[in-house]
Amino acid sequence: MANETELTGASLLFEVLKQHGVEHIFGYPGGAIMPIYDALYDSEVDHFLCRHEQGAAFSAIGYARASEKVGVCFATSGPGATNLLTGLADALADSIPLVAITGQVATAAMGSDAFQEIDVFGLSLACTKHSFQVTDVHDLEKVLHRAFAIALEGRQGPVLVDIPKDIQLAKVTEERGDYSTLRNKVKLPPANVGSALALLTQAKKPVLYVGGGVGMARAIDELRSFAKRTGIPSVSTLKGLGAIDPNDPNYLGMLGMHGTKAANLAVQECDLLIAVGARFDDRVTGKLNEFAPHAKVIHFDIDTAEIDKRRKANVAILGDLKVNLPALEIPLTIDDWQAKCQQMQAYFGWQYDHPGENIFAPAVLKEVSDRMPRNTCVTTDVGQHQMWAAQHMKFEDPTNFLTSGGMGTMGFGLPAAIGAQVSRPYDCVIAVSGDGSIMMNVQELATIKRFQLPVKIVLIDNSKLGMVRQWQDLFFNGRLSETDLSDNPDFVMLAQAFDIKAKQITKKHEVTGAIEEMLDHNGPYLLQVKIDAKENVWPLVPPETANDKMMENT
Amino acid sequence: MNRYQLNITADDKQVVLERILQVARYRGFLINGIHAQVNTKNSVGIIELLVSSERPIELLVDQINKLIDIKSVKVDNTVMQLESA
Ligand SMILES: Cc1ncc(C[n+]2csc(CCOP(=O)(O)OP(=O)(O)O)c2C)c(N)n1
Repeated sequence: MANETELTGASLLFEVLKQHGVEHIFGYPGGAIMPIYDALYDSEVDHFLCRHEQGAAFSAIGYARASEKVGVCFATSGPGATNLLTGLADALADSIPLVAITGQVATAAMGSDAFQEIDVFGLSLACTKHSFQVTDVHDLEKVLHRAFAIALEGRQGPVLVDIPKDIQLAKVTEERGDYSTLRNKVKLPPANVGSALALLTQAKKPVLYVGGGVGMARAIDELRSFAKRTGIPSVSTLKGLGAIDPNDPNYLGMLGMHGTKAANLAVQECDLLIAVGARFDDRVTGKLNEFAPHAKVIHFDIDTAEIDKRRKANVAILGDLKVNLPALEIPLTIDDWQAKCQQMQAYFGWQYDHPGENIFAPAVLKEVSDRMPRNTCVTTDVGQHQMWAAQHMKFEDPTNFLTSGGMGTMGFGLPAAIGAQVSRPYDCVIAVSGDGSIMMNVQELATIKRFQLPVKIVLIDNSKLGMVRQWQDLFFNGRLSETDLSDNPDFVMLAQAFDIKAKQITKKHEVTGAIEEMLDHNGPYLLQVKIDAKENVWPLVPPETANDKMMENT
Repeated sequence: MNRYQLNITADDKQVVLERILQVARYRGFLINGIHAQVNTKNSVGIIELLVSSERPIELLVDQINKLIDIKSVKVDNTVMQLESA
């Protein structure tokens, strides 16, 4: 029976949010969303005022990724909405469930170039999974429920709901229909398990290629069980890190442009590649037609459009990984291949000895990783520090490593850490950032201050846009165009201005003490780690090159 | 360049046509023609889309199918033709 109560559009929004278990929202107010902010005043949800709508979007992403809930963010019309878009693009590329609510000018003013009017609905087409503009308040309830369902169903993604001001103010009765949301729900043909099993049993050198889809499908246990029972050597994408147990002896680390030598060589040699929730991204494959050249492919995915998009699959297994992975779990006899992979891994392992007194970033990140408490959530920005974190830190679960993969968006790390900390108040959250990236959303230090969030920031400072500088040195004849940041602000003073404890270290002997001090500190902390501007990330597979032709530190 | 005709049915929802056109352009298909109409009785839109591209048509079919409001996408093989390069 319908339970009817009279509300405004704005208060109805909070009723629906409550029904979906939303407790935390990240946002920024403004004219066209004022009725919603007025209704927020009476609502029980916790709203986190960020200091830029991009910060709000990334915090919602960090929240969603760290907690596996839907992230929710608010922005006003016009510039508020456009400021959200980078976050939506990031969430689309990394398949993150988000519901973004934007205020819009009143319906009567729409299309008249009104103050702060932008066609955000039009802008959303390229950067959301789906979007709605509500033009009748009686549609609002259904649309909001649909938005949550679409964000979560099948391959997850961001959904935008644009709500004109008059719709927020209009009176409406709540219908409380029965709206159910099923994670991973999709209509797909039954998986061709028989052919996949045949390929598996014939394979002599199989490799498991693990992507972000495993975490999104919450199929970590199924994947680990599959890896254990079959004994297949595994490699991971950037977004897949944490899905395979990092201490599994058959795990070879990350593959691709900055992947481990063992992972890339194993993939290049394998005769069967089992892609699980991965999409053959160009940063993974290097030169596509020389990627895993001897391999047949079994491709597990929930998104039909990923099958055969970049690499033809011999067998496609569409649907929910939780159901499909166990169907292929059989013991295999591949001892020689396992032994070879393990030897490669031991032989090409990371080296942490580094000459001189200057700090070696990979060793710092490894030490942070070794010392951080269990279940720490690490976020990163984009650049060299991001790749070093991926290479040298260990994660027990994909929800413990949040990085902008598909979009590679600088400015992600700090606000994502804020969202992660809000969702997991009792876990340690560490943002690994660079001196370029941190400035992209540096205003969010004010959010940390306001909510007294104990986020730790490890700032790897090379006074450069390091990753671009590395490419300029390697591929543009050392012509260092616009990558110098030697006039950075004093980061310690900057942090202190936001009541954040901070310290700068410049020499190796200071590292251990500083990491301990940071981890022991009860509140937010910024550790500025000065490193040599000339350090590079190795190995590196140059663009459009086969993955076995990596450049290495010589 | 290969030419194809897609016959698409969709719920008559906001901007569904814009979404289809955006996906076609972004995925590398040139739009050579379009005919669209809505059956107001059952609110189903029927769209005939003529496209050309070097890329396989399955790529576009899969991506259009992913759009939320799409009911079906079919390639009309009677219309497919190969243009001499
Ligand atoms: C928003 C955005 N703009 C530009 C880039 C291109 N880009 C990639 S890495 C990088 C340098 C990052 O510098 P920093 O944050 O200091 O990290 P480092 O590489 O030095 O560790 C740039 C400019 C990007 N990824 N994102």
